[in-house]
Amino acid sequence: MFKEIKNYLPALIIAMIASHSLWASSDLKDRIHEMNWDGLDVVWLEEDGLPQYNLLFYFADGALSDSTSGLGQTSAMFNLLTAGTRRFSQRDISDNLEFFGVDFGARVTHEYSVFHVSGLVKDIIPTMKQICHLFKDATFPANELAKEKKRAEGSIRNMVNHHSALADLAFRELSMMGTPYNYPASGKLKDLKKITQKSLKAKLEYFNEKVKKKIYISGPKRALSVKNVINEECGFRGSEQNYVRQVDYKYTPNDKPQIILVTVPKANQAQVRIGNFLTKPEVKNTELLTLSSGLLGGGFTSLLMRAVRFHQGLTYSINAFASGQRDYGRAGISTFTKNETVTELLKTIKDVIERVENKQVSQEEFELARGYIVGSYPFGFEENMAFLSQLLSYDHEGRPYEDIYIFPNQVEKLSLDEVSKNTSEIFDWKRQTIVVLGDKSLLPKLKQLGNVQVMSYEKFL
Amino acid sequence: MRFPLFGICALLLFPLIFSSCSKQTLKGETNANKQIDVSNGEMNGNTLHLQVKKKVLSNGLRVLVHENHKLPILSISVLYDVGGRYESRQEKTTGATHFLEHMMFKGSKNYAQGQFDTLIEKSGGSTNAYTTFDSTVYYENLPSAMLPNIMDMEADRMSNLLLDADAFEKERKVIFEERKYRYENSPNGKLFLRMMQEAFKGTPYGGSVIGDESDLKALTRDQVFSFYQQFYAPNNAILIVTGDVDSSEVFRLAQEHFSKIPERIGLSEFKQKKDASENFKLRSKLSGSLNLHGQSPSPLFAFVYAGEALGTQRAFVIDIVASILGSGQSSFLVQQYVKSRRPILNNISVSNYNMQNSGLFFVTGELLKGVSLSKFHDRFLREGKRFCRQSINERNLQKTRNQFLIGYLDELKTNAGVAGFLGTREKFFGDYEYYKKELETYNSISQEEALKVCEEIFLPGKALFVSLWEKNPKTK
Repeated sequence: MFKEIKNYLPALIIAMIASHSLWASSDLKDRIHEMNWDGLDVVWLEEDGLPQYNLLFYFADGALSDSTSGLGQTSAMFNLLTAGTRRFSQRDISDNLEFFGVDFGARVTHEYSVFHVSGLVKDIIPTMKQICHLFKDATFPANELAKEKKRAEGSIRNMVNHHSALADLAFRELSMMGTPYNYPASGKLKDLKKITQKSLKAKLEYFNEKVKKKIYISGPKRALSVKNVINEECGFRGSEQNYVRQVDYKYTPNDKPQIILVTVPKANQAQVRIGNFLTKPEVKNTELLTLSSGLLGGGFTSLLMRAVRFHQGLTYSINAFASGQRDYGRAGISTFTKNETVTELLKTIKDVIERVENKQVSQEEFELARGYIVGSYPFGFEENMAFLSQLLSYDHEGRPYEDIYIFPNQVEKLSLDEVSKNTSEIFDWKRQTIVVLGDKSLLPKLKQLGNVQVMSYEKFL
Repeated sequence: MRFPLFGICALLLFPLIFSSCSKQTLKGETNANKQIDVSNGEMNGNTLHLQVKKKVLSNGLRVLVHENHKLPILSISVLYDVGGRYESRQEKTTGATHFLEHMMFKGSKNYAQGQFDTLIEKSGGSTNAYTTFDSTVYYENLPSAMLPNIMDMEADRMSNLLLDADAFEKERKVIFEERKYRYENSPNGKLFLRMMQEAFKGTPYGGSVIGDESDLKALTRDQVFSFYQQFYAPNNAILIVTGDVDSSEVFRLAQEHFSKIPERIGLSEFKQKKDASENFKLRSKLSGSLNLHGQSPSPLFAFVYAGEALGTQRAFVIDIVASILGSGQSSFLVQQYVKSRRPILNNISVSNYNMQNSGLFFVTGELLKGVSLSKFHDRFLREGKRFCRQSINERNLQKTRNQFLIGYLDELKTNAGVAGFLGTREKFFGDYEYYKKELETYNSISQEEALKVCEEIFLPGKALFVSLWEKNPKTK
């Protein structure tokens, strides 16, 4: 019986999800509450299932606020809030927060910054009082700063142990060259010496006093009891804290593929990244971007995975992505292979992209990718932190929450022609930056594909 | 494992599994007896209860169901009691169970190669698997309407795997790439692999789940198939379904699809022999040093001590000791060596690595640039004598319990998390409600007991030291 129905059941599931009768509008909408606390915008995702809360502080500025004389300062400031205050040492601060089992930390992007805190609802008031104390009173003591800089230096140097992360770092910088977004948000080794107690205090003051903020909370209603703590003790309000980072840029894409070999010693595997920068107009249609990258490299059944892993056994994993923030985006392919097969891998990837360009993708392959994107959509709402992060992204990008509910229908409306055209454009071989991170012995092989620039991995630390 | 989402060994799994809570009132709790709903279960002040239904089919398949109707999705997990511990270096079968795990996605009688993934991904689902020394676990996250399909698919590959010869050879290449990615090009992976092999030398845990290079090259389809024939049977499996499902429908489908698969006669006796405690007794003296040459510019190190098998009282105590010593920025060893006035380490962590039949306790970390490895080694051993008395106190015990509680709840945030939580306890203790025993046990551990066990661990001369550094001499 199941053999008979298995061919059409996925289509039925997609239709059910796309119609959003099952999950979207009523229940999810009812759980999202928008509020204003003394001029501060707040979004509360109501959740009674677990006795826990998540709280995100959104700041409408990020690493783009760092001047060339102080790159990496924003990231350092948020990450060193726990280094000490006038009243408490780093030991006291971490001990107090960890006593409650609190998870906390910062994520700084170029466009915005987020500080997250999670814990048990019963502890939310004492926890948030401590967090607000950090925002108000962090002093970044010189002795702690010196130790943290030494540790940071060690961590950066030891990135040579993590080839995949190192390849990501080099790829970002090289594929976004010429844009305001290519420099790592956390800075580089050479920036560490410019991080001082004074510079961090100034940065904190800027984020406290000038930058627009928004709060995202998930949990039961009692989690909202933090209103006064945030308004009074953090001092976060709406009135004068309204700066939102905006940036203008011009971007000219490559007119031929750029191949760069980033050398690390003694690697017997080549990390491969292929991709390019996406402009603001190119990231506007989220549904189209998601399906385009999904078709190419979104799962075990994607075009790339089938060609590279299943048919040829060249790699263990390969994936493609295309996504944006508010003003820019990135498209890319990420994989690895043994040294001997690096050119074979690159040629296979190029062939797959050309297959899409030449409209050789079948309707069946397209429906498989579309089914995957639509059917997997509800999983993005299973965890409250993931859901909150999605709401934050929608707000940052200026998109209405209504888009959340219509996403499956919008994807369902896309045709094979539209998606093939978009995939061909954003993964057009001519505009790609191809970064291969591995041993220098890869150079002769890569030269078979065209001109190759060679750089040491140390340039990216 | 088919995709780099989880570690291949149990290292990443067990810190989560034994993150649990105590009965003691948490600081700040105002109403210890308040009932709190937890994913269709409840937490009564200090005890957790998940609503689960269990049925055992006549062929021995255990079926667990936890309903959660929040979203129209489900997670399914099929756990087989087979892993690296049943492989043999003498018979050159290391890596066979992990290889088999890869092949389980390569076609069965009613689902030709590629169909399994296609059907799952076309519906929006995802699937993956992982292998440890103790078990092999397959899991899928799916729209709930796919329940009948996935039950048919899992039953089909439990009894009708193809193990196609061409696919077998292609997958061998993929596994070599996985091996390079995880171990050969990863100094941390390399150190971990060698540490385990050295500490468990001469025992069934002394192989490697990914497989020795020579064994992986030589493994035949027939060798791998024999593992399938021997261990992939309903009386060696647990099926867990969580999410938007009706438990009676799950049981009906389980009966329909799995009950026709015959149980494997004699398997239980075979496993008893293999799992005999004398086979797992540590042969290594866990002393001396092993210095590996590797790419790391700063030395990586591990101090390795004898540990415990899962479920013993001492294993629970060591969980608490490990957390107090090395979990979080405020933990004792982090403050001592990383955050101190004159730091000498870039990072340090402490693990209680419990497996079904044996275990290790280890401290791992990375030196700061310019710090002498040998001086650190000597200093750590010298100072080890006072770690326990300086760190184990009532406040740190309570902090650990609070952290465990959060970890426990974190596991229950997703259907897949609940499936893993229940399946692991059912597998190792034959009781999906074993978490209640865990809570009681953690609650019963006193400061004195933790101190005693901690001091036994750090007795002089009881540690193997392993380091990896680019300046260590090259050896064969």
